[in-house]
Amino acid sequence: MKLSKESILGLIALGTFLFMALLAPGFLSSNNINSMMFQIPEFGLLAIAMMVVIVTGGIDLSITYIAALAGVGAALMLTNGFGIFPAIIMAILFALACGAFNGFIVSKIGVSPILVTLGTMVLFEGVILAITKGSSISGFPDAYSLIGNGYYLGLVPFSIVIFAIFAIITGLLLSKTSWGRRVYMYGSNEVATLYSGVKNSKVLMKVYLYAALLAAISAIIMTSRYNSVKVDLGSSYLLQSVAAAVLGGTNIHGGYGKVIGTIYAVFVFQFIRNGLNLLGFHSSLVDVVIGSILILVLTMNFFSDKFKKKQEQKNASQAA
Amino acid sequence: MKSLFKQKEFSILAIVLLISSILTFVSPVFLTVGNLLDLIEGNVVIGILAIGMTLIIITSDIDVSVAAVTTAVAVSISYLFGFLPDSWISVLLLFLFAPVIGLVMGLFNGLLVSKIEIPAIVVTLGTLNIIAGLVLYITNGNYVNSTSFPQSFLSFSNIEILGIPILIYLLAIVAVGTWFILKHTLIGRSVLAIGGNTQSSVRVGINYQRVKLFVFAYMGFLAGIAAIAQTAYTKAVDPNGMIGLELTVIAAVVLGGANIHGGRGSIHGTLLGVLLLAIMQNGMILARIDTYWQNVVTGAIIVIAVSYDQISYKRSQDKLANIEVEA
Amino acid sequence: MKKLVFSLLMLMFLVGILAGCVSENTSGSSEEGSNDSGGEESSDDGEMNIAVVPKLVGIPYFNASETGAVQAGEELGVNVEYTGPTQADASAQVKVIEDLVSKNSDVIAVAPNDPASVEPVLKKAKDQGIKVMDWDTPADKELVDLSVKQVDDEEFGRHMAGKLVEAMGTEEGKIAILTGGLSAANLNLWIDAAKKEFDENYPDIEIVSEKIPTDEKQQVAYQKTLDLLKSYPDLKGVLAVSTPAPLGAAQAVQEKGLQDEVSVVGSALPNDSEPFLEDGSLDTAVLWNPKKLGYLTAALGKMLAGGEMPEDGQEIENVGEISVKDDGKTVIMGPPADFTKENAGDFDF
Repeated sequence: MKLSKESILGLIALGTFLFMALLAPGFLSSNNINSMMFQIPEFGLLAIAMMVVIVTGGIDLSITYIAALAGVGAALMLTNGFGIFPAIIMAILFALACGAFNGFIVSKIGVSPILVTLGTMVLFEGVILAITKGSSISGFPDAYSLIGNGYYLGLVPFSIVIFAIFAIITGLLLSKTSWGRRVYMYGSNEVATLYSGVKNSKVLMKVYLYAALLAAISAIIMTSRYNSVKVDLGSSYLLQSVAAAVLGGTNIHGGYGKVIGTIYAVFVFQFIRNGLNLLGFHSSLVDVVIGSILILVLTMNFFSDKFKKKQEQKNASQAA
Repeated sequence: MKSLFKQKEFSILAIVLLISSILTFVSPVFLTVGNLLDLIEGNVVIGILAIGMTLIIITSDIDVSVAAVTTAVAVSISYLFGFLPDSWISVLLLFLFAPVIGLVMGLFNGLLVSKIEIPAIVVTLGTLNIIAGLVLYITNGNYVNSTSFPQSFLSFSNIEILGIPILIYLLAIVAVGTWFILKHTLIGRSVLAIGGNTQSSVRVGINYQRVKLFVFAYMGFLAGIAAIAQTAYTKAVDPNGMIGLELTVIAAVVLGGANIHGGRGSIHGTLLGVLLLAIMQNGMILARIDTYWQNVVTGAIIVIAVSYDQISYKRSQDKLANIEVEA
Repeated sequence: MKKLVFSLLMLMFLVGILAGCVSENTSGSSEEGSNDSGGEESSDDGEMNIAVVPKLVGIPYFNASETGAVQAGEELGVNVEYTGPTQADASAQVKVIEDLVSKNSDVIAVAPNDPASVEPVLKKAKDQGIKVMDWDTPADKELVDLSVKQVDDEEFGRHMAGKLVEAMGTEEGKIAILTGGLSAANLNLWIDAAKKEFDENYPDIEIVSEKIPTDEKQQVAYQKTLDLLKSYPDLKGVLAVSTPAPLGAAQAVQEKGLQDEVSVVGSALPNDSEPFLEDGSLDTAVLWNPKKLGYLTAALGKMLAGGEMPEDGQEIENVGEISVKDDGKTVIMGPPADFTKENAGDFDF
């Protein structure tokens, strides 16, 4: 039986779920399951956005500030009496503008993504500070708060429905469209991709736009859930989203990565964080556990790869 | 002279000079010996870490755990103060212990990167979480202030030679030492070779794993020295004081012309990068730029600097290609 | 590009349709209620569970209040759980509170990083019969059952301003204001109050530059103060708000030997500021007793869970006399405490 990286991670996610269900009191209560479902979408969307960028061999360090800026865009509209719909559009526009800026410098000028986004991270943070003067914007209409706090058909959190839709769309875009295939091609070998007649810069531009779009959706959920926006909205998700993408099997040098892997990784993080909180662990130990799991899983991957190779060699020599 | 202009570090030097001259014009305080010394002393820690990071980035890797490692060593130092006698020997011992503690953590990173072949950003992201979490758990974030420091260490940190603070000499020693290693030792040459072209350097017999191990261990070693510098500079140990510093360090290195894809990078370029960031920090208040716009200015300068650098690099590459074709 | 726009529009349409079916509660909420109702009267072991959530864990200030809260728990026989995020991040804090709601605490006391952001989760807690209160920094007034404040913000800001003028020994000159972060609501309140005090009572004091952020780090405060001293050589005083900022400012003054020229007043803990208070580089540290604040929060949490409300002038053991504002639910611990050279050694935080 052969298991892909993703399925193994899926089993690990299931394992942590069962483990926490056994140990942590109240982990399985409908209440807790519910609150976990509310917590997953905002982080999950950012992790998927990060994954798409990492597949091209890049990284987007500005992603959480793009989200925060998008949130500011929505908040400005809402507090100035516009409806929910224009606010959402504005959030997306703000984010797309940021994405286009990143995309332009990465794809047209050719600066490496980590540098560009390191700079734009500070830049976007500055723009938010200049707009908000550092204070939070709050006081949104009740209807808006339903996006992040409401239930769809009275059953599941609406935000998780949005998350599922975008996860599926991302999966389809990456695997079924020519853009998606080019993203993977670019990630594994950009020169070869260029010589095979692909306009790299267009592919890349769309990657950064798409990541920004996902960040905007995440921002809409966050602002609605927290009923406010501030310069540090979601800033703790930055390194976590890189960690989730990589734990999910995405190759940090590009060329490989699947949505489902990232989602499993998000689940693993969520179960651990929530379970340890319920068990009353000191918050800083949660970080320690997550860091250890990241390293352990990748070490396991390494040895299982090695083992597989040995087996193959054995088989080959036996065949001969 | 011509070769100077062609050098990659030239563009960053130009930007440093440009901003400096603007600042000199805006604020008469900027170009005073006192201000410049303050400015350099305040960035010794970033400078030392950036030098270590340069080696890692030359081999096309990255280490995001530096700030956490430095903090961990600084916290260890504060515990060591409890055991060491108050004499000059303790200060010397500190220079033995601290780098070794850092070295051990660096080796751990290095082993995972070289032997287990996990990408460096992932390894160090993991160790960042682990080390920072443990430090916070053990210390509970409590400050240790100078009242519990031995007098000998305090007087060490206040030494000035020829009017220049000791920490600046420390940075200079680290810079020259690392430059020497890069230029004149086998392992140093291997670092550059691997960054330039991994495959062909392995073919000529360079031990890839050993070089990787070396750069991360060396980074840990320097983090230990940086921890001493940090403790001497702030005269306090704050477990939360260096959160996020790794991004500043990386920014300084890449601003200084090291290529994140490996192969390019130099100690003097990195020092210029540190200087650029330092001047911007310093200049914001001197130039009396509105608080809320400071980040916009900083971010814009970083983006412009890296873009400009890339454009001029591309141009020089194009020229190179032309020459080859003509020949 | 056209395709992208088209698919975006389709998506919006789809989400729009979906949104029509969104409601505030689950249809299955009735069964949930029966699950949880037991938690209100007595939890499994019969002890009362009081959760105290700081803005973040692992900084000296909130460690001191933890000591107080835990002490109160032991003395009053209630279970006090003190937990919070490791970064002062609003979304991380909301997650911690959500987990506490799942755990069926009897009372949740929050020091919100961002008052608006904890509103939804506090509402949820209330819906489940959990009593909610805020401490250290106020949350939405309508929402909380009780609000514990260390000092009156207005009084605190004005008090610090007054102390600075006193330390400067003159009612004119240039001063600078350092703050922990531009987005910290309570710091901004104090700074605004201090500015008002300067405006109204000391019109000859000039504040140079906007408030300067120091990222809640001593080292940053130190460097910015060095820069300030150079940029404004005639600077007379520094008002440093947030606990690490006065230490950094004082360190800069100490190193440049300007103890007599530049006065520093700010909000800091006595133990941390001792080395600077001693030689006058820090003139006065103004704060309150965070240990007492933690104790008071847990003690009032117990009262609240038992259905009692505090009264104005009530004597709380180990804390002292508290005052309650006219709305009946805002409790003020007392006047600000000044830590000086003389008394800084007497405290254990």
